[in-house]
Amino acid sequence: MSSTSQKHKDFVAEPMGEKTVMALAGIGEVLGKRLEEKGFDKAYVVLGQFLVLKKDEELFRDWLKDTCGANVKQQGDCYGCLKEWCDAFL
Amino acid sequence: MPFEEDPAYLSKSRLKSDLVAHNVALPPAASKKEIYVELHLKHIDQRNAADFSSDEEDLVPDVADREEDPDHTEIPDPRTLTDDELKAALLHHGVKAGPIVGTTRAVYEKKLKKLLQPDESGKVNGAEKAVVYSDSEEEEEEEVEEEEQKADGEEEVEESVCTESEKQTAEQTDLAKQESSQAKLPYQNGSFPYLQCFMPSSRLHARPTSNRESKSKWNSRNAVKSSERSRSRCKEIPVGISRASSVDQHSGLGSGVPSGSQSVMSNGCSSFSSQAFSITQMVKEMESRSLISSSTDADRELNVSNVQEHRSQPIRLQIADRMKNQSVYYTPQDSPHKWGAQPPQEPMKDIIKEIFPETGTTPTGIHATRRRPIKGAAQRPVQYGYPATPVSPATLERREMERRRVPIRIQILVFLIMACILYFIYVNLEDICVVLLDSLNQGFDSEDGYSLQAETEDTQVVSGQD
Repeated sequence: MSSTSQKHKDFVAEPMGEKTVMALAGIGEVLGKRLEEKGFDKAYVVLGQFLVLKKDEELFRDWLKDTCGANVKQQGDCYGCLKEWCDAFL
Repeated sequence: MPFEEDPAYLSKSRLKSDLVAHNVALPPAASKKEIYVELHLKHIDQRNAADFSSDEEDLVPDVADREEDPDHTEIPDPRTLTDDELKAALLHHGVKAGPIVGTTRAVYEKKLKKLLQPDESGKVNGAEKAVVYSDSEEEEEEEVEEEEQKADGEEEVEESVCTESEKQTAEQTDLAKQESSQAKLPYQNGSFPYLQCFMPSSRLHARPTSNRESKSKWNSRNAVKSSERSRSRCKEIPVGISRASSVDQHSGLGSGVPSGSQSVMSNGCSSFSSQAFSITQMVKEMESRSLISSSTDADRELNVSNVQEHRSQPIRLQIADRMKNQSVYYTPQDSPHKWGAQPPQEPMKDIIKEIFPETGTTPTGIHATRRRPIKGAAQRPVQYGYPATPVSPATLERREMERRRVPIRIQILVFLIMACILYFIYVNLEDICVVLLDSLNQGFDSEDGYSLQAETEDTQVVSGQD
């Protein structure tokens, strides 16, 4: 990713703690709502999904698209921020 | 597949989801697990045993089954697999699946589906568009080859190459095929022989043309059989061979086009490859690399043409010919001998080819191309930029003025400075004036005094004298 959003930087800067799913880069209100409806209310739940998909970008993107209808950019943002977070804190 | 999960060990929710996945009506929510297990056994396990396990294993190696009953096994539903089966299936395709749990299952199912689809399409000659033609064509060539007992294996290789390339260029093939029927006709009649650049193989000369039709028919009959064979061959053929053979293939294709019949073509290929490997081979190889995809098109054309040639009469071929790269370039070996007639026309095609290298082919043989940009004044890059909007002389003047004008800030500054100086001068001038005036007055006064004094002195002197 050439440039990262402020949201991305904020998320990657610290342990995610109890942040909501909307704190993830690429996940705004709409997608956040959808994810919450499906039980992914916290960022760490999405992280869990991310990890259980073995950090595979393609699969995670697919999943995100299926789950909340994220577009390519949103998928990329979300994947990027989780990936970076994992690199930093895992 | 070896693992059959006992539904009794599955969780209730799992059973439920499986049932839903199989479109089995769920029992009332309150019902016990046993009921779910029962339903599971009845609906799902049966099905798995019936079409799944067997299918799954055959998936990769055995495409024939798939072909025979495409409706049934077209896409084995990944949803019917258990988690472990799904994982195994993915592994089968070289994907190391992570844990398959509730939230990941859908993702992996999708992945498996994706993996299965290209697999099938590739093997059956891929793209749905080409399905109608694809199989029979390849086989025809093969059949001919076998029939004639040349069986150098080169043909096979050739075809395998064809099939592979066909997969890649499946989209193009349709057009090419349609086109081909029209295109090859002229060759058959011998109206458009190509200038021969390469040494024709001796076999070509000897080969009687009378067999062609019968052979082609025969080919079409056996097409189904051969398709399977060709497929298997594709897998087996090593890369090195295939490339060498590709050269042959091209030449074969070229030859085949003019004749319009498979047998001729195949003969040309095999014989050529076996005997005439020389400088020409190198040349062809170079060409072939760039033209592999197109060669496949030509291949198809040939095949299609076999079927259609008898019916259709060669009329509008010239146009169609121009569009085909392959036929034009590779026709050499056969054409001169069989129809050694009018060389000049072929070169013309080449020229047209050069002019319209990228023309696509259309089913009707009539093709419209995008008008090429005129290489005259129209395309010449603009050398001077003209102002976008016409500017009146007045505005030009104004602009000029503005350019020369001192910036307003400086103007104000200068004005203020001037004002200050003037004020300063004015203020000082007052003082100076006053001083000057005073001094002037005093000067006058003192002069007067002096004169007065002098007068008085004078008077005193006068008086003193008096």
